[in-house]
Amino acid sequence: MLKGHLDMIVLAALASGSAHGYAVIEEIKRRSGGAFDLPEGTIYPALHRLEQAGLLKSTWTTADSGRRRRVYTLTKTGNRALVERRAVWKQFSDAVGGLLAGSRPRETPA
Amino acid sequence: MISDYLESLARELDFDRSLSRSVRQEVEDHLWEAVAAEPSGNTLQAQQRAIANFGDAQAIAAQFAVVSLAKHTRRAGVAAVLVIAGDLIAMKARVAWYAAAQWGISDDMRALRGLVILIDRCAFWMSVIIGLGSLAYIFSREIPAAFYPAYRRQLRCFSLLCSATAAALLVSVISDGVLTALQLRGMEPSVEIWVAIFTMAVEIACVGFLVFHIRSNTQRAASTAALLKA
Repeated sequence: MLKGHLDMIVLAALASGSAHGYAVIEEIKRRSGGAFDLPEGTIYPALHRLEQAGLLKSTWTTADSGRRRRVYTLTKTGNRALVERRAVWKQFSDAVGGLLAGSRPRETPA
Repeated sequence: MISDYLESLARELDFDRSLSRSVRQEVEDHLWEAVAAEPSGNTLQAQQRAIANFGDAQAIAAQFAVVSLAKHTRRAGVAAVLVIAGDLIAMKARVAWYAAAQWGISDDMRALRGLVILIDRCAFWMSVIIGLGSLAYIFSREIPAAFYPAYRRQLRCFSLLCSATAAALLVSVISDGVLTALQLRGMEPSVEIWVAIFTMAVEIACVGFLVFHIRSNTQRAASTAALLKA
């Protein structure tokens, strides 16, 4: 379930501004209340894939620690993709919400 | 401990050297930041936890292999179009040279020349259409998160289109070779002849380059599949 929406989650995490991989993961954890507990390493192939698709762009900087750091930024195409995916998700979420609200769990006799 | 993990990840990513280098730097930054954020203060434990949270090096490399394959496949599409453009430039340069040197062709060879030109044009424009089609095809597909069967089918289809492009271009280059041979038949070796031979060599190199790209991409797809099976 989570894997299917990983791209949207990463794009959403970068919507508030540029960030490097670690910060993206921290942002996902913070905004999901720690609900998304996936191996941190899986974020990086997703970041590279989204960059190749033109949804992100990256630049190398030097961190305070002196280490080389790759910082990702959402492109205009990425922003548009996020808006579209958000709308699709909202539609899906509303539909499932409506479906669940209309049904009651069957009561089991004591 | 972190350097050992980075070594093993870099080894797993050896199929793409530039990717291996950049991922190593990126992951190194991640892991040391995770260690610095650890409140316990026990560096060894923090390193262990950072690596465990990051995940298995082979599994991550397998995901990168798909991204790398997609990148190289797109490059092969661009290479096909550039090769066709290179071929066209070499062809036009040779024809312009013939016109500048006012080289004609003997009357007994005109009929054969006309037939070869027809084959050349058909083959070349076929390569243009298929080449542009293959480029549009591969750029219109999404880069998948995994090596799904649907993606394998897309790769096979793209490989077929590229092979058809190369085959059509090869027919065009062979036709050009025949035309050049007809043009140079009976001529004394001179500097002018070398211009025609050089442009022919450029055309042959272009086709060779495209075949090399198709072959290396096929091998890359096979090694990606093997990496995912392991």
